[in-house]
Amino acid sequence: MIDERDLIAALRQKDPHAFATLFDAYSDKLFGLAVGLLHDEDEAEGVVQEAFLRLFEGLDKFEGRSRLGTWLYRVAYNASIDRLRKRRPTRPLADELDAGDDSLPMPAIFTDWSSAPEPLFASAEAHAELERAVARLPESLRAVFILREMEGLSTTETAEVLGINTGAVKVRLHRARLLLREHLSGYFAERVAAGGN
Amino acid sequence: MECAELLQYLSEYIDNNLDEELTAEAQAHLATCANCKVVLDTTQQTIFLYKQQEPRKIPARRRRRLFNQLQDAFLKRPESS
Ligand SMILES: [Zn+2]
Repeated sequence: MIDERDLIAALRQKDPHAFATLFDAYSDKLFGLAVGLLHDEDEAEGVVQEAFLRLFEGLDKFEGRSRLGTWLYRVAYNASIDRLRKRRPTRPLADELDAGDDSLPMPAIFTDWSSAPEPLFASAEAHAELERAVARLPESLRAVFILREMEGLSTTETAEVLGINTGAVKVRLHRARLLLREHLSGYFAERVAAGGN
Repeated sequence: MECAELLQYLSEYIDNNLDEELTAEAQAHLATCANCKVVLDTTQQTIFLYKQQEPRKIPARRRRRLFNQLQDAFLKRPESS
């Protein structure tokens, strides 16, 4: 893998290979987070651009206290949230509304679809349903779920990106999982019952 | 352990973050409670399905354009001292 200090040193020297390495390592990941939050590829592209430009501006001062990826994710996350706020300046974000609510989503569907035959999960329709389920999550839960479960960041890294504590990351991940389980249960349980077996 | 408590601990149980005592209590509950067992299995399957999703990629044309724009900005930035 890339040694970060070497990469940063090479970026400071304006090494074009270092730029290509940086872009390859992080552009898709940042885009994944931004498009997951914004559901708009143009805006997500703007976020990725903003994150890299901010890094270039700050390169000389970049101290490496946090990892490069974490730093970029944080800028991309904040830029995405700014854009969400601009879209609907009069309405608070969904998660600001339920920030004080620590009740868990109660499971209501108890059909076991977990060992349904593989093709049920592999269909394009199932994939679209997975996307839809994530899109329905409140932004704060969605960001945690994307970073932890899909991008594979640790709890600590996720907390650093989002500017919250690790306890909050765990609670939000738990809520996100339960909400997604419920959503997917609605979809898969029906298909298991319809005799997919 | 009761259903509400199991639900509270479910993610920690799945991630193997519970101490021995709570793990044993959770297992005892899961052995006798069909609903909680279903919630556990389907939550694990949910996590699994997302983990095995193809990572999202920037569409090729958009990626090329972005690469070129950023490379220009990168090469034009003032020389560091
Ligand atoms: Zn139970």
